[in-house]
Amino acid sequence: MSQPSGVDDALVPGAPRRATRAVSTKLVELWRARELLAQLVRKELKVRYRNSALGFLWSMLTPVLMTAVFSVVFTQIVRIPVDDFPAFFISGYLVWQFLQNSCQGAIHSIVGNGELIKKVYFPREVLPLSHVFSQLIHLLLALLVLSPYLIYSRGVGVLIHLPTTLLAIALLTVFTSGIAMWFAGVNVVFRDLQELFVVIFQVWFYATPVIYPLALVTAQMGERFAWVAQLIAINPATWFVELARLGLYGSVRATGEELAPLIDGPPAWPSVTATLIAAGWAVLMLLVGYVVFLRRARTFAKEV
Amino acid sequence: MEPRRSIGRLAGATVDPEQPAIVVDQVTETFRLFHERPSGLKERLYRFRRASFTDFNALEDVSFTVEHGESVAVIGPNGSGKSTLLKLLARILPPDEGTVLTNGRVASLLELGAGFHGDLTGRENIRLNGAILGLSGAEIAERFDEIVEFAGVEHLLDTAVRTYSSGLEVRLGFAVAVTVDPDILLVDEVLAVGDAEFQERSLERMRRFRDEGKTFVLVSHDLDAVRDMCDRAIVLDRGRVVFDGPVVEGVELYRQRVASSAAPRVDRRRGPRQVAIDDVQLLGSDGELVSDVARSSNLVLRVRLRALTEVEVCSVGAVVSRGDGTHLYELHTTWQGVGVGPLQVDQEAVVEIRFTAHLLAGHYAIACSVTDASGRDTWAVVAEAARFAVQPAPGGAGLVDLSASAVVTDGPARRTGDGKAGPIPLPRLQRRQARG
Repeated sequence: MSQPSGVDDALVPGAPRRATRAVSTKLVELWRARELLAQLVRKELKVRYRNSALGFLWSMLTPVLMTAVFSVVFTQIVRIPVDDFPAFFISGYLVWQFLQNSCQGAIHSIVGNGELIKKVYFPREVLPLSHVFSQLIHLLLALLVLSPYLIYSRGVGVLIHLPTTLLAIALLTVFTSGIAMWFAGVNVVFRDLQELFVVIFQVWFYATPVIYPLALVTAQMGERFAWVAQLIAINPATWFVELARLGLYGSVRATGEELAPLIDGPPAWPSVTATLIAAGWAVLMLLVGYVVFLRRARTFAKEV
Repeated sequence: MEPRRSIGRLAGATVDPEQPAIVVDQVTETFRLFHERPSGLKERLYRFRRASFTDFNALEDVSFTVEHGESVAVIGPNGSGKSTLLKLLARILPPDEGTVLTNGRVASLLELGAGFHGDLTGRENIRLNGAILGLSGAEIAERFDEIVEFAGVEHLLDTAVRTYSSGLEVRLGFAVAVTVDPDILLVDEVLAVGDAEFQERSLERMRRFRDEGKTFVLVSHDLDAVRDMCDRAIVLDRGRVVFDGPVVEGVELYRQRVASSAAPRVDRRRGPRQVAIDDVQLLGSDGELVSDVARSSNLVLRVRLRALTEVEVCSVGAVVSRGDGTHLYELHTTWQGVGVGPLQVDQEAVVEIRFTAHLLAGHYAIACSVTDASGRDTWAVVAEAARFAVQPAPGGAGLVDLSASAVVTDGPARRTGDGKAGPIPLPRLQRRQARG
């Protein structure tokens, strides 16, 4: 009783088993709440697009502008030696934006809905998940809008290898669900997490091969900076971005030559290893995020 | 009653008629009041083990069972734990100790229109709110017209809820909530909203719900509504159940408690200690110490006090109350023109208060105090100076012995026994106390 709440749960013996049981009954409950999830997703999209078709186009402005700016900077000023840099960038950036926006929405979802949580019972996880799924719909719409450009610049391979893209998005959704729940749950206890959020994601963004290809890092980091390449390889977001880019843009490999260090191929099927790593991260993050969230969720009504 | 199609599927359960609708077993709910809530990572690291807080029990060892079809009112002063109790029943809060079981689908009207989003239209908010309360899409569609009609918002359906008046918003919230059609309905203080016509309709809807044989738990300060809507009352005070029984008795008890707490209390103002109460004895008419007495016994309360400083004059007071705190009788000797004094330092005095306990079966307590002559400054107080129990006896039931007698003045009369036909039913409260 004398311990501050929030840090002592893990020390209670038998907690993991209780958590597992809680997870299975909670999953049934979550399934029953699918209508609520659907309504919340609809609400998110509606509020975001403000009931207008133009609203969607407005929300496309950020990625398009970012692509324009980064394209100028990284092809004209600092050269990143890949073909079709805009296509290269946007194929990674959309995926990254999905991850970041989902987490950004989810982190406030519990604290921001405090009144609702104190008054009505429903599976709390629908709140962060509604942000993930509305972002997912947004991502799919954005891909639809951008697909003509990607097909134009990268060939029909983009269409043929659609399963690669969809697999990447599916795995990323699982991963994002986990991390979104984690952020939402932890933010209730550590309110300044949301202040740190911007910094965390800024660092994470540069640690993920969105602007640059992973192959370039591996090729150009010498012995001394090998750890940077390792760090990027440990970063789970790397694998989802690489996987999605494989389907939307194509492969990028190092040649070992000084003048043209990179060679890019058309969209391709992913390797088993890369798929397994991404799937592993997705499942792990979902489990960790969900268990942490459920453990916290019991007392949300007291803490928000 | 066979298990019905699950309508509000969030709560999920079907009804098992063999089991009670609600079981609350030894539930304690603790809130941690942080004096300075360490709500961030920085604070947490900084004052890791030094977070200062007070644990406060909103509910303490609360147990009761509600059968199917019962309509129960939970009443008590503000802060007595009523809303916490409802939140436990609604599963919004998990109990810290003990168990809460609900059998059947639970819907709560704790806050109407919770989850309304101002930017969405009335139509969209009905769908969203319905989903929050656990309805599926098809069920919402099925009830849509009923909701719109009940709330009377036809003309505003496609307007953003942001533009609704607050009363209209509550009406819409209520309309959605009552169509959830649960087995157990929890209502928290919503009767006070809306205009008179809507209030009447809401009450009507709840009555219909009750008459359909559903279980119904209402928290309200509107005692007339409580008496009208419910059969049973649970009175809470500072997180404890102080009464559980017929609604008429419960409401009356609560009224008395409110009245007695509004009256000046003996220990309200405590002056400097000038007198000590050394001993208090409750004696029977034979001069022996007693604790169990027959009804309407003659009793003597003997108070021995000692002056700690020089005292000009003081008054000895006694308050008789029922075990649950109901204020029954209060006397200060100066009210009868009797003061004690003057007293030298360490001089003792003994005051006897003789009275007839015109009380029926139950547990009673006597508090003693010594005050100045005006009764404004309390110099000494013993909260439970004496306790006594009145034994059950035939001839009348209730709280006060009115020494009634019955005569047939017109028509044939007949003796039905020796006047000792069965014991007097003890009020539930006393049974509860006898157990504890």
